[in-house]
Amino acid sequence: MEKEERIWFGVLILVFLVFNIVTLSPLVPWQQWLLWSSPTPTQRVAIEFENYEIKLPPNGDVLSASKGIQVKAGEFVEFTATSRDVTYGLGAFRPDGTMAFQMQVIPGYQNRLVWKFDTPGMYDVRSTEYSGPRHSEMLVKNAIQVMP
Amino acid sequence: MTKIGWHEKWTLRFAVVALIWLAINGFEGILMRTQLSAPGALHGVEAALNLLRPVGREPSSAEVFYSMLTAHPICGIYGFAYMSVMGAFYFLVPFLLKKEIRHKSLVPLNFWLQTVSVFVAWGAGFFLLFDSLYTLYWPLPVSYDRVPLVGSIVFAVGAAGIMVNILLFSFNIFSTVLSKSNPHSYSLGQFLRSAFGIAQLRKRLGRDKEDDPQPDFGSLPVFVVSVARGSVDTVINAVVLLTAGALILVYGLAVLFHVPLNPAAVNALVYKNWFWWGLDMVADGNVLIYSAGVWYLLVPLLVGRKLYGEAVVRAVILADLLVSLGVWSHHLLADRPQPLVMRLLSGQLITWGEFFTMGLTIFVSLYTIWLARPVKLTPPLKFVLGSIFGFLMGGAAGLIQANVGLNLVLHNTQWVISTHAHTMLLSGLGMLIFAVIYALIPMMTKLEIRSRWLVNVHFWAWIVGSTVMAWAMGLAGIQGMLRRTLYPLPNQYEPHMVVALAGGILIAVGFLAFLVNIIGTLGWGNVFGLVVPERRSQPQASGTAA
Repeated sequence: MEKEERIWFGVLILVFLVFNIVTLSPLVPWQQWLLWSSPTPTQRVAIEFENYEIKLPPNGDVLSASKGIQVKAGEFVEFTATSRDVTYGLGAFRPDGTMAFQMQVIPGYQNRLVWKFDTPGMYDVRSTEYSGPRHSEMLVKNAIQVMP
Repeated sequence: MTKIGWHEKWTLRFAVVALIWLAINGFEGILMRTQLSAPGALHGVEAALNLLRPVGREPSSAEVFYSMLTAHPICGIYGFAYMSVMGAFYFLVPFLLKKEIRHKSLVPLNFWLQTVSVFVAWGAGFFLLFDSLYTLYWPLPVSYDRVPLVGSIVFAVGAAGIMVNILLFSFNIFSTVLSKSNPHSYSLGQFLRSAFGIAQLRKRLGRDKEDDPQPDFGSLPVFVVSVARGSVDTVINAVVLLTAGALILVYGLAVLFHVPLNPAAVNALVYKNWFWWGLDMVADGNVLIYSAGVWYLLVPLLVGRKLYGEAVVRAVILADLLVSLGVWSHHLLADRPQPLVMRLLSGQLITWGEFFTMGLTIFVSLYTIWLARPVKLTPPLKFVLGSIFGFLMGGAAGLIQANVGLNLVLHNTQWVISTHAHTMLLSGLGMLIFAVIYALIPMMTKLEIRSRWLVNVHFWAWIVGSTVMAWAMGLAGIQGMLRRTLYPLPNQYEPHMVVALAGGILIAVGFLAFLVNIIGTLGWGNVFGLVVPERRSQPQASGTAA
């Protein structure tokens, strides 16, 4: 390896180290509980996906806009998503449309994710994975109410 | 009219069909961009296209959109990119090795089988409304309440044809590389040991003698080493996707013959791992290795200087091959049942191996140009630099999303498909293929590219258009816009989609400038000569262009 290549290789190693250390560290907020600790959730929410429907608790019925999953900001919530047919995605979206979190919902598995909401407000739930031509309809507005 | 030799003619035929697929691909892209920015505008086009669709009913706009989304990568990857690669390699490999293609009869067979199979697989989406998307996540492609049965079967047949053809092509390339390059013949095992560097390692460790009759990758041109090692990924990709296609075909035929099989018999996560392991051999395997090989070939050729650091380059190609075998989990970072160690190692850290291999490749290419100063910025060199820009931008976006933390908010957003994937394909791979075309046409036909002005229009329209489109979509992705999702109007992403559409139109302008220039360079006589059946005669030797 020539001198210039060695220098460049060193630069590459530096970028690799900095980027990965930063993004694996708690500087990315959710890495705190997804990677570096296993907090006990104070609440568990089970969501079922089937036939283009997102079935939310408490009764597994499709949620009307007046109800909602109520969680407290700053507390850990475990979301468990299951699918009875094809692959879906569980995504929570803030009122401004940006995504808070997501996971794939693989059929035949309990798909789990622990989340801590920082900001109170109403969050939409949308399927984030294509599941057929009616996939875009899989949206539940104001599905999660995050209380202060 | 210039007389074009047998090899050159087939290479140009591959290129012509590749460009037709690119035009179709662009047409679909514009339609989908329009659907996302102004859905109502396409009713007339939809009605006209529906007349061509033998489905016996009027499909919904969503069905049309998603089936087009399924067809789109088929003609982009296996129509445009693979046919370009096949045509270029069928000229360059024998040209560089100074020997004939080992099985000449496979060249026209590869051409026709690829053309027909891509048409069948693409047509399953475009005409028969197969709408499972290229990801084919199990059991969606066999969920016949969501995807059409006939479309699913036709798609699987077309996909199988493509994969078989790729295996035949790879066999021919391997045979050509290995034929007569050594007085001994090689077994597959010997070839693979050499491709993975095991043969060289054994010699260094004293386990084998220096004159051991192994295929010697050290003596081959760097480009050919890239072709051979990249083709290992190509073969794995074809075999894996062939199994997926066969599975879908079996389930489809079982329903057709009234003996339906249970989709739950196949584990969706295991299938997803298997599928992405194979599919990723294209995205993170042969695309990178072939592209590196083309840079290694073109840059010294265009600047008239030996490639800088060739010894390292050979090791980099091998590293690229090894890395490509272990990175597929970055497509499963959002799959919580996927073990964390897989997501962390395969998904994130091994993926960074590509940062090193591509980082060194790009450095070597740019440093070679730097050392060769002053250089003439010829059309192919300009497009080589454009492709490096594309791979840098798309690669950086890819590393950001291939991250266990950041993927949580980027997976399946417009960021993934635009800032990463389309940038890699349009700005990176697309511009590299144009560089090859601009370089090969004078080599093969002794004709100079006719208009520099049109080259510049092509270059700037393409690079600006693809960058604008990528970032408009990418910013929408950061703001939560999903890929593969239709949003009813009004929505907050409309401005992004309008800008992305403008970028797409700019790309189309660049492509038209390219077509006009190439047809003007070749002349209509030569262009027609490519499609007029030639008389049955013995193929002429390579390099017979007069």
